[in-house]
Amino acid sequence: MHLKRIILLIAPVVLLLSCWKIKEKNNSSAKVWGYKPVYGTETFAKNILYTPVAQPVISGGNIYAYQNYIFQIEPGFGIHVIDNHIPSAATRIGFITVKGCSQVSIKDDKIYTNSYDDLVVLDFSNLNNLREYSRLKGVFTEYRFGSPISQPPLRGYFECPDYSKFVVGWVKDSVYQTCFKN
Amino acid sequence: MKVSGYLLFVTLTILLFGCEKSDNAAPFSNSSTGVGGSLAKFTIVGNYIYAVSSHYLYTVDISDPAHPVTTGQHLLNFDMETIYPYKNRLFIGSRTGLYIYSIDTASAPRLIGEAKHGRSCDPVVANDSVSYSTLKGSSVCGPATSGLYIYDVKDLNNPVLKKTIPINEPIGLGMADSALYVCCAGEGLKVYCISNAYDPVERPSLPGADFIDVIPYNNILIGWVSDGIILYDISNRLHPIFIKKIAN
Repeated sequence: MHLKRIILLIAPVVLLLSCWKIKEKNNSSAKVWGYKPVYGTETFAKNILYTPVAQPVISGGNIYAYQNYIFQIEPGFGIHVIDNHIPSAATRIGFITVKGCSQVSIKDDKIYTNSYDDLVVLDFSNLNNLREYSRLKGVFTEYRFGSPISQPPLRGYFECPDYSKFVVGWVKDSVYQTCFKN
Repeated sequence: MKVSGYLLFVTLTILLFGCEKSDNAAPFSNSSTGVGGSLAKFTIVGNYIYAVSSHYLYTVDISDPAHPVTTGQHLLNFDMETIYPYKNRLFIGSRTGLYIYSIDTASAPRLIGEAKHGRSCDPVVANDSVSYSTLKGSSVCGPATSGLYIYDVKDLNNPVLKKTIPINEPIGLGMADSALYVCCAGEGLKVYCISNAYDPVERPSLPGADFIDVIPYNNILIGWVSDGIILYDISNRLHPIFIKKIAN
């Protein structure tokens, strides 16, 4: 009788301890299928490139109208260019690679956008020779971590990126459950 | 009684004609500065670019595009979401309210008015007398009642809430003369006649697409939908006519 009481007293404690152990194990070593950040050098991450070929829209972002063109952000990766000279025949004609971008605004044939926390000015006066015109580094302090490229494209678990490096993309991999995107 | 009935009829007729009026004064012509949607966080006014992040309003002088110069980084205590310029004002939508900034001194925006509301997401469009905000209460944005919020902003220091119209899931919005376009996600695009600015009258909406934001640009309405971009002819502001869809 006495022994039974002791067992009854100890059993819940053991059960609770086992719970605690399982939880700790999950945090430290369990891997899940999720997204892993791909890092690049600053030069690679901040390279501006115009490709005169329409690209598929993965996750369309903000739109912008300028004269006979429409621009649409591909959050984290660049800007789609749409020729709207004849609206009934409007079509995507190219893509400007601007990694870490989320916003766009245009004045006097200069495109103002952000690449991570930099303000980047692009010369749009000759579309086929679109190039970086100037850059103000580090001005948008909060965009560095809030850049859409600092999170994977879809919801789920991902490996928290090292913000001292430049995230240039994401790959599916087996990762620790370090971060979660809703 | 008969007279007042007649007056009512005449008044309604005039109001409706007011709605039908196709004003050719386009909201934006071929100016050298483009136009963003209501969800934008970047805007250019004159020689300055204004940008919002969650807690900051950044001001950059771009009078020499080869050498942009930052003139201010204004720390604010609210979750800012969107920025909309009108004349010498910036209307900033945040998760806690509508904030109006004066840019009379372009290099240093100054807060002059605010209207607080329950927590929610909040893009805004505005003119001299009225501002329209859509509030979307949700798990992400907060518990405020979803809908179109109409403020009298004639006194910038004291915006007055005139009316709210409940809408399930409003997002971006755009204004062109007598028309207001409100994106309602899966419910399509709602069209309102705003001849009476504080009392919008709902018109037939445009169903069939998952609208996120719109830009009225001259006589074209550019719609960002979840699976592409849709163009409408809005020569008649209240009767958008489908032109083309550019699929993703």
